[in-house]
Amino acid sequence: MSPASLQVEHLTLRRKGVAVLDNVSLELPAGQTLALIGESGAGKSTLAYAAMGLVRPPEVALEGRLMVGDVDVVSAPERVLRPLRGVRMGMIFQDASAALNPCYTVLDHLSEPLKRHRGLNKAQCRSRAIELLTSVGIADPEGRLAAFPHELSGGMQQRVMIAMALACEPQLLIADEPTSALDVTIQAQIMALLLERVRALGASAIFVLHDLALATQVADRVAVMYAGQIVEEGPAGEVLNHPRHPYTQGLRASAIEFDAERLQPIAGVVPPLSAMPGGCRFAPRCALATERCREQQPLITARGPVRVACWNA
Amino acid sequence: MNAPTTSLAGAPSPWQRLTRTLGRTWGLLRRQRKAMAGGLIVLLFIVAAVFAPLLAPYSPTEQNFTDAMQGPSAAHWMGTDSFGQDILSRVFYGARSALWIGFASVALGLVVGVAVGLLAGLRGGRTEWLLMRVVDGLLAFPELIMAMAFMAVLGLGMNNVILALALSFVGPFARTVRADVLQVKARPFIEAARLMAVPEREIVLRHVLPNIVSPILIQAGMRVSIAILLASGLSFLGLGVVPPTPDWGLMIAEGRGFISMAPWMAGMPGLALATLLIGLNLLAEGLRDALDPKTRGDQA
Amino acid sequence: MAFTSQRLGAASWWRSLGALAQTALVLLVVSGVSFLFLKLSPGDPVAIMLGSDFSRDSYDQLYRQLGLDQPWIQQYAHWLWRFVQGDWGMSYVSKQDIFEQAVLEALPVTLTLAALSLLVALVVGIPLGVVAAVKRNSWADLLASAVAIGGNAFPSFYLGVVLIWLFSVALGWFPSMGYVSPWDEPLTGLWHLALPALTLGAWYVGLIATVTRSSLLEVLEQPYMAAARARGEPGWRVIWVHGMRNVLMPLVTVIGLQLGGMLRGAVMTEVVFTLPGLGMMITSAVQTREYLVVQAGIMITALLFIAVNLIVDRTYALLDPRLRQR
Repeated sequence: MSPASLQVEHLTLRRKGVAVLDNVSLELPAGQTLALIGESGAGKSTLAYAAMGLVRPPEVALEGRLMVGDVDVVSAPERVLRPLRGVRMGMIFQDASAALNPCYTVLDHLSEPLKRHRGLNKAQCRSRAIELLTSVGIADPEGRLAAFPHELSGGMQQRVMIAMALACEPQLLIADEPTSALDVTIQAQIMALLLERVRALGASAIFVLHDLALATQVADRVAVMYAGQIVEEGPAGEVLNHPRHPYTQGLRASAIEFDAERLQPIAGVVPPLSAMPGGCRFAPRCALATERCREQQPLITARGPVRVACWNA
Repeated sequence: MNAPTTSLAGAPSPWQRLTRTLGRTWGLLRRQRKAMAGGLIVLLFIVAAVFAPLLAPYSPTEQNFTDAMQGPSAAHWMGTDSFGQDILSRVFYGARSALWIGFASVALGLVVGVAVGLLAGLRGGRTEWLLMRVVDGLLAFPELIMAMAFMAVLGLGMNNVILALALSFVGPFARTVRADVLQVKARPFIEAARLMAVPEREIVLRHVLPNIVSPILIQAGMRVSIAILLASGLSFLGLGVVPPTPDWGLMIAEGRGFISMAPWMAGMPGLALATLLIGLNLLAEGLRDALDPKTRGDQA
Repeated sequence: MAFTSQRLGAASWWRSLGALAQTALVLLVVSGVSFLFLKLSPGDPVAIMLGSDFSRDSYDQLYRQLGLDQPWIQQYAHWLWRFVQGDWGMSYVSKQDIFEQAVLEALPVTLTLAALSLLVALVVGIPLGVVAAVKRNSWADLLASAVAIGGNAFPSFYLGVVLIWLFSVALGWFPSMGYVSPWDEPLTGLWHLALPALTLGAWYVGLIATVTRSSLLEVLEQPYMAAARARGEPGWRVIWVHGMRNVLMPLVTVIGLQLGGMLRGAVMTEVVFTLPGLGMMITSAVQTREYLVVQAGIMITALLFIAVNLIVDRTYALLDPRLRQR
């Protein structure tokens, strides 16, 4: 099974006239992991959903290209995309307790993609389901098959979600804040499990996160988003240890895990999508902002192995 | 919604609070298209009812057999019935009995139902349990059936209809009031008042009652349309108002017999009834949407 | 696992007992009200039974025979005892056993009408609600709102008359009165029940469409819907298998709650279309002062109501796994 690559070219996504994603370009070579970082509302989840082909006209207006392997999700019709969902790209949602249908059992959930994409019968579904549950570290998988979502703990629900996403061995796995809804004590476990499974499958992966430190541990590449745009992108080590964009630097400084002596928040708030400043979107909060920053949107330029969108980088 | 106040100097009086709430409600209401449309319709009917003697071209009981069963014409805008009575005039007067019965029965049922519900909700414990079982028993009888039974015991006529309907409404009102009281009782400011050693009576009067007034009024508003529906239904069945009093239900029943020859006999009063009910429902829904924090600010 | 279900089994047994006690008390109240009704109704049963000419002695004799000299509580007990055995008395007018008349003849008619109407309402209302939710602000959305407002406001008896005028008088497609049991003759029976079912169903359609629409709107926002789509499930399956499954509960709730309205509509529909059901029975009984029949009627309707509510309650656990066991 060959992993899929992701290529985003000048993707703009508008919802009710407002650009939620603005001219986003990104590249993830096959077999690598990407961490998408940013605050809530930066557009990371939207990008993740877009990669699955889940946000489409007429609810939104799309421009540009989003290639998953050889398929352009933006222009491909639904009947081309549907067989790919779950097979080429799989998704893990943030809140597993809400992403599992309360009326159906674990077996029902796991059988669904197996029946649809692999055409397995009941017996085959059952044995494959047990396999999957074992692979995600669930003890007594047979006993869990008849359980309903509300009977499982948060960690177990997320494991089931992971099992479901991996059921048809997707080539690109997208995880939308997979551990945010879990207790801190299990977060590390689940994250490790996810990584291990991705490696075992040899798939590409996109992790949407808001935790910088986590990003260092899981990703090969990192992309930082702010207000619907990519502001910095490159190999994980480079971006996180030698950040060039003031926003990334600010993120690093305000992260508790990094050896900071005290918390240094970034002043100000993200402007609302409907009232974006004209020039660089980060300018109102940036200590290095110049006239040019306020008037012209910075272009993404390469600075060594990293791409940055800043006049001062 | 209303900030709780105890006996502090400068606290608004209940009267001030009431006028303020009404004013705020009116403001919210104005923005609701549904409520305005409904309110307009209801207003029209109320005007028709109040000024019926002035507006009606004929007396509602003026019989004229030569003109019987005529379709709508210049002389009789809604036609005439089998007795030659002008239907338009009867529709106007029918509005009177409909609205009067509607409001009177709801008001009466409200008073008793609220009393029972308050008692159950505030006392709690065994009193509540017992009262609510009785209410459950009453609620097991569908309202129309219960009203029919009451009419069987009391006899026919408009006043008995009002009484019968009022009695059928005690159950539903009691249940809603109790639920509202329980909801208010559970709110933290009540507990806070208790902890501050405010006497129970004052808690009831100043905190509980004002907070259940609006849900009760909304309920009452919705009940009016049900009351009018039931009253017309009773008259239709021959168990309500007695002829020759003009009543839409009676007129529809009469019209049913002549449906092939004179469809307007049943059609006209029915239209009037349906329109009034739609208006009342729109108004009640608009009122509920206006006061419900979730849908506030929504247009229609 | 086995131990926990045993423990939970015991707990739910206690709760069932409690629910049973509640129901018993409600039944007591219901029967009490019915009995009171009979005692308060005007007319002297003794005089009616004796006819026009009778002596003081025969009056007193019959009075004692009927147990009317006993305290009310005792009379109530006797009446209740007879009632649960099915001895409901005799109708003066039809000279028929009331139990037979009410339960064996009238009740099935009303139930058939109600079932048919509910079916009509579901078949029309659910798809309407689904389309209104999925395609917001479309013609379906407006239609659903209009039907909801109209259906609720148009009184059943008026709608029935209008339908009669339209389909029976003007178009001549359906009969306007009379009843043939569909259990005996399906086609003729359904033909006679078509207009009544439409009348009664119309009232419910608006309600069902509205509830379906609003519940589905909420459900559509839920992550598990997007998750299903992310697994590659086609749109229609996501809506009907994942979405509607979660809409069932509020739908059933509302249907159960509005049962009173359905019975009211049934009464009026039966009178409009002259169907020999419970509604017709009670109405003519009140008009002819047959208080025993009226009493039987109100008891049956109340019992029916309670029974259906119990069934609806039990269905909850079936529909929503979150309510089971806990």
